[in-house]
Amino acid sequence: MKKSNKQFAEALYKVTKSLKDKDLERVLFNFAKLLVRSHKLKQAERIIEEYIKYAKKQEGVKEIEITSAHKLDQETIDKIKQVFGDKVNEQQIIDKNILGGVSIKLEDKILDATIKTQLKQLKNAL
Amino acid sequence: MSTNQIVEELKKHISQFEKVIEVEEIGTVVEVGDGIARMTGLTKSQYQEMLEFSNGVFGVVLNLEEETVGAVILGDYKGIKEGDTVKRTGRILSVPVGEQMIGRVVNALGQAIDGKDEIKTDKFYPVEKIAPGVMTRQSVDQPVQTGIKAIDAMIPIGRGQRELIIGDRQTGKTAIAIDTIINQKGQNMKCIYVAVGQKESKIARIVAKLEETGAMEYTTVVVAGASDPASMSMFAPYSGVAMAEYFADQGQDVLIVYDDLTKQAWAYREISLLLRRPPGREAYPGDVFYLHSRLLERACRLNKENGGGSITALPIIETQAGDVTAYIPTNVISITDGQIFLETDLFYRGVRPALNVGISVSRVGGSAQIKPMKKVAGKLKLAMAQFRELEAFAQLSSDLDPETKKQIDLGRRMTELLKQGQYSPMSVEDQVAIIYAVSNEYFNKFEVNAIKEAEKQFLDFMHKNKKILLDKIAKGEWDEVIESELKSACEEFIK
Repeated sequence: MKKSNKQFAEALYKVTKSLKDKDLERVLFNFAKLLVRSHKLKQAERIIEEYIKYAKKQEGVKEIEITSAHKLDQETIDKIKQVFGDKVNEQQIIDKNILGGVSIKLEDKILDATIKTQLKQLKNAL
Repeated sequence: MSTNQIVEELKKHISQFEKVIEVEEIGTVVEVGDGIARMTGLTKSQYQEMLEFSNGVFGVVLNLEEETVGAVILGDYKGIKEGDTVKRTGRILSVPVGEQMIGRVVNALGQAIDGKDEIKTDKFYPVEKIAPGVMTRQSVDQPVQTGIKAIDAMIPIGRGQRELIIGDRQTGKTAIAIDTIINQKGQNMKCIYVAVGQKESKIARIVAKLEETGAMEYTTVVVAGASDPASMSMFAPYSGVAMAEYFADQGQDVLIVYDDLTKQAWAYREISLLLRRPPGREAYPGDVFYLHSRLLERACRLNKENGGGSITALPIIETQAGDVTAYIPTNVISITDGQIFLETDLFYRGVRPALNVGISVSRVGGSAQIKPMKKVAGKLKLAMAQFRELEAFAQLSSDLDPETKKQIDLGRRMTELLKQGQYSPMSVEDQVAIIYAVSNEYFNKFEVNAIKEAEKQFLDFMHKNKKILLDKIAKGEWDEVIESELKSACEEFIK
């Protein structure tokens, strides 16, 4: 059966989780050989991407993207980060189009608390 | 209301407005092309769900794959680019339905395109729906009067039937459908005309004609023009039938015309190939049969317990050079309850409607015919069948025995009788009277090319002198007394 990039990434994570130095090197070498044998070398970059995503999920690290109209101070950012848990990596985007408020992107979800969206809702409600 | 009042009112509304923080599921566009888009993310989206692109255009999910989601774009796809965010709407593709749709020209999404007011309905029906099951149906038992002599007599259509109209380009397929719609006036029927991939000029002409004849009072026109994206052409028939289903659920009878399904199949092929689904015969995807069968299966006659409504479908298929063995024609022929074949040869010979009565059939409509029509049509069918067999000998008329000659002669008169101009539907009682008169050889004293004129005179005579008799026939009454009355009327006329 054809195996997906995701399956390769998951397998790699599970095998290498508790390995160190020499063993790790050997496993990675074998993994590369496996990729060659299953003609997946072209997909290596994608597999690495999937691996990072999977590893972060397993270790409870969350990536969030904060979009705001103006640069936020560190205190606000820390407050936002607290909501999502302990291990949070944030990225800030400034977008004047949203007028005000923030929108936070977490994986495939967006928490939209921007003035723009609320004005739109108000328009629909009236 | 004064300005202050308005401001106060507005303030009140705004203060009542509650802030809702939206949680939206999104994806990212990775590929756009020719009306389709591929996206990553959107992990929870479902099949046929509407998506909203960042420029406000909607899309419909058609492919759910391991890493990406494939969707068709309903509208202009030029503003969409790689990296755009796409929102889930959580709604399955649906169209507005209701009485407000009547008399309107709408696109495949049910939005008005006739330049009149916006259509305001509170009811929406999903575009895709499973057809009614066995226990909710009953057999066809009421006629659809098309007003076309050849069809009503020999290929009768019943309410709830699916009758295919098939033929080459320019053979009058649309004309039959439009005539049928026009003849539904006062027949307690709602009509929906779905134009798929048609020229906008043709659609404008049809709408003008329907308005002129007053047919728009009970008709909705669903348009996916030749310049609209393929996705619109693909969904338009389903949108049309969703609107029809609303009326059928209210216990009403609906007639729906799909003009034409060949172009819908083309649009579906285009989208399937773009979504990289494996092509099969004639490059159509494997499920092109299901595309049409699930659509036509939604035509139905519901039983009393389910409201007794009906949807009669008249799909149209265009053949190339009379080839009915191509993929799509054979598929649709096998799905429908009969077909009306139109031929180029007949059309140019002046037989219009260019119906080939030999290979046209109606598999269930016979039981829906009214009794007088059933009686007179039997003779007509027999005479036409005999005529077709003898037609080849017709050129040798000098050497034929009198019996054969007589049959050929009658056949020619019948063929002449079945010719009928466009936009001139005839009521069922007139049809019965004239078919009775011709098939019983009362018209033999007229020349073949004088039949048309004689027909007109005969009908004028009947309307003037035998109105009561015609009314009885219209009600479906038929016995020896009525037959003998009709007989004496014919005798009186030819004197």
